[in-house]
Amino acid sequence: MSLIEVINVSKIYNTNSIPVTALNEVTLNIEEEEFTAIVGPSGSGKTTLLNMIGGLDNPTIGNINIAGTDISTFKTDAMINFRLQNIGFVFQAYNLIPVFTARENVEFIMLLQGESKEKRENEAINLLKAVDLGDKIDKKPTELSGGEQQRVAVARALASKPSFVLADEPTANLDSVTANNLLDLMEQLNKEQKMTFIFSTHDARVIKRAHRVVTLRDGAIESDVVKNGILANSD
Amino acid sequence: MLFVLAWKNIWRNKKRSLIILTAIALGLWAGLFSVAISIGVWEATINTTIDRNLSHIQIHTKEFKDESLISNYIPNGNSIVDEIDRDERIKQVSGRVLIEGMASSTTSSGGVNIIGVNPERESEVTTIATYIKEGNFFESKKRNPIVVGHKLANKLGLKLGSKVVLTFQNVDTTLTYAAFRIIGIFKTESSIFDQSNLFVRKSDIYPVMESEPIISEIAIRLNSSDDLDSVYSKINQANPALVVETWKQLAPELEFTYEMLILELEIFLGIILAALLFGITNTMLMSVMDRVREFGVLMAVGMKRLKVFMLILVETFVLSIFGGLIGMALGALTIWHLSDKGIDLSIFAEGLNAWGMPTQMYPVLPIYFYFVLVVMIIATAIIAAIYPSIKTIKLRPAEAIRTY
Repeated sequence: MSLIEVINVSKIYNTNSIPVTALNEVTLNIEEEEFTAIVGPSGSGKTTLLNMIGGLDNPTIGNINIAGTDISTFKTDAMINFRLQNIGFVFQAYNLIPVFTARENVEFIMLLQGESKEKRENEAINLLKAVDLGDKIDKKPTELSGGEQQRVAVARALASKPSFVLADEPTANLDSVTANNLLDLMEQLNKEQKMTFIFSTHDARVIKRAHRVVTLRDGAIESDVVKNGILANSD
Repeated sequence: MLFVLAWKNIWRNKKRSLIILTAIALGLWAGLFSVAISIGVWEATINTTIDRNLSHIQIHTKEFKDESLISNYIPNGNSIVDEIDRDERIKQVSGRVLIEGMASSTTSSGGVNIIGVNPERESEVTTIATYIKEGNFFESKKRNPIVVGHKLANKLGLKLGSKVVLTFQNVDTTLTYAAFRIIGIFKTESSIFDQSNLFVRKSDIYPVMESEPIISEIAIRLNSSDDLDSVYSKINQANPALVVETWKQLAPELEFTYEMLILELEIFLGIILAALLFGITNTMLMSVMDRVREFGVLMAVGMKRLKVFMLILVETFVLSIFGGLIGMALGALTIWHLSDKGIDLSIFAEGLNAWGMPTQMYPVLPIYFYFVLVVMIIATAIIAAIYPSIKTIKLRPAEAIRTY
C-alpha cells in the first residue's frame, strides 16, 4: 500500500457557470520517503493536485487515499484534524504568524494537537535547532530573513510529526544560496528522518534534487520520471 | 496561547484598536455619567420630598385617608407617638394636626393645608426649618405665629409680620377662624408645596378648635432608611386599625417614576452599546479581512473552525472588555469626584424648582449598575464577534492561502 494514492481524480471548477477542468483523471501513487517534485507550467494543475493531496480541496471525481484512508469523504472538521495529525505544509510565502516568535510558531501546531507546555517548548527548540535556527528562537518573522522564515516554516511543518510534507513553491521567494541551503535541509530530513516531501515547483534547483519528477500539463500527468533512470509513467 | 495570540492580534494594528477602545471607553464614560446624573437628580428629589415633609413613615386613620377632615383624627394619637418614640431605630416622631382650610389676607384668600406641629419635634422629622427664607421657624415667642410658603405669601400679598386669618372646620364641623401673624417664610424646591402649605403650632390651634390635643397624622423619621421595612412591619402590626404607610406608598409616583427611570437608563445604556456594537463589528471585520491568508494557513495546518471562532471571539471580547473597563473606571472616577462636590445647576433653578428638584446635583450610580453594564458589554462583545467569526470559518483554506 502506497502512502498516497491518487485514484482517477478529476477537479472541475465552475467559473461563471463555465466548467473548467483543473485536473483530468489523474492517478498517482507516492511511497514513503519519496522526495518528489510535481512540475508543470502555470495552470497545469500542480497546485490543485497538491491541494487535493493535502485535503485542502475535494476532488470532483475520484478518490485520494492517505495511508489507506480515503480522505475524499471527510467532513470539514474531520479533514482539519486529519491534516493536523498527518500533513505538514510549507508555503511559498512562508505564512508564519507574524505576532508569534519562531518558537511560538512551531509550538502552536503542537498546542493544536494538545501537547503539554513543557513538551511543546522542548520540541520547538529542538526543531529550530535542527533547522539551524537555535539562536533565533525568540525572533519574530519580521526579524528573520526570507530563508530563515522558510526554515521556521519547515520546522513548523515537522512539528506535528506528519506522515509527509507538502511544499508549495518553497524556494520561489529565495535567492540561490538560501534556496540551496533550504533544499539541503529538506534532503537531510528526508535521508535522516525518512520524511516524505512532495513539492509543487517551477524551480530547476528543486527539480534537480528531486528523486522523482511528475510533470503535469493541462490537468493530466505528462510524465513521471524517477531519477535513477526508471520511467514510472509517461504519456 | 489562544489568549496570547488574541491579545497580540489586537495590538497588531495599534491605531485601529486604540480608536475603537477610545470609542468604547468614551461612549461608556458618557453613558455612565449621564445615568449617574439622572439617578442623582431623582434620588435627590425623593430625598428632598422625604426630608421636606413626607418623612419615612406616616400614620393616619382609614377615615382620614378617605376624607381629610379634622374629625377623622387618630384616637389616642399621642400615646401611639410616645410608644413609637421608644424604638431606638426612630430618630424622631411628630404628631401633626392637618386641617384643610382657607387663608385670607387683606387683599386675597386661598385654600391651604394647615399643618399644626410641635416645632421642636418637626425640626427633627423634616427639614422644613432649614428652608426658612425670611424670619424663623417658631423661634419667636409671639402669639399665634404662622410660617407660610413664599408662593402663598406672594399670592396673598403677605410679608413678615403680616396678619393672616385662617378659617376651618372644628371637630364638631362648625366653622371657626383665628388670626395669625407671619414669623417665617419658607422656600423649598417645590413651588406647589410652597403655595399650598402653612405651619402653625399645635398648641395654638387647639384653643381655637376648643379641642383636646388631638392629632391626625403621625410622621416618623428613621435613623437609617435601611430599617424602613422592619419598622414599618412592627408599627403596622401594633396598629391594625390604622393606615401605616411608607414614603413609597405615600408617594407611589416617586417610586414608580424611579423604577421607570432605571429601566429607561438601562435601555439608554443598551442603545449606546448597540451603537458601539457596530463599531466593534466593523473593527473586527477589518481585522479579519486583513488576515484572510493567515486564517487560511491556520485552518490548513489544523486549527479547527471552533478554535478559529473562539480566537475571534476572544479578540472581540478582550477589546470590548478592555475598552469597557476603561470607560467604567473613568465613569466611576468622575462620579466619585462629583458625588462629593456636586454640580451647581442653579442657572436652571426656576425650571427645576417647578418640578420639586434641587439645584445642586450629586451624581449617583448604584453598584449593581456596574454589574449590569459588565453583562451588557459581554453580550455586546459576543454579538459583535458573530458576523466576523462566521465569515472567517466559512473561508476555504485553499483559496484563503492565496489571498494577498
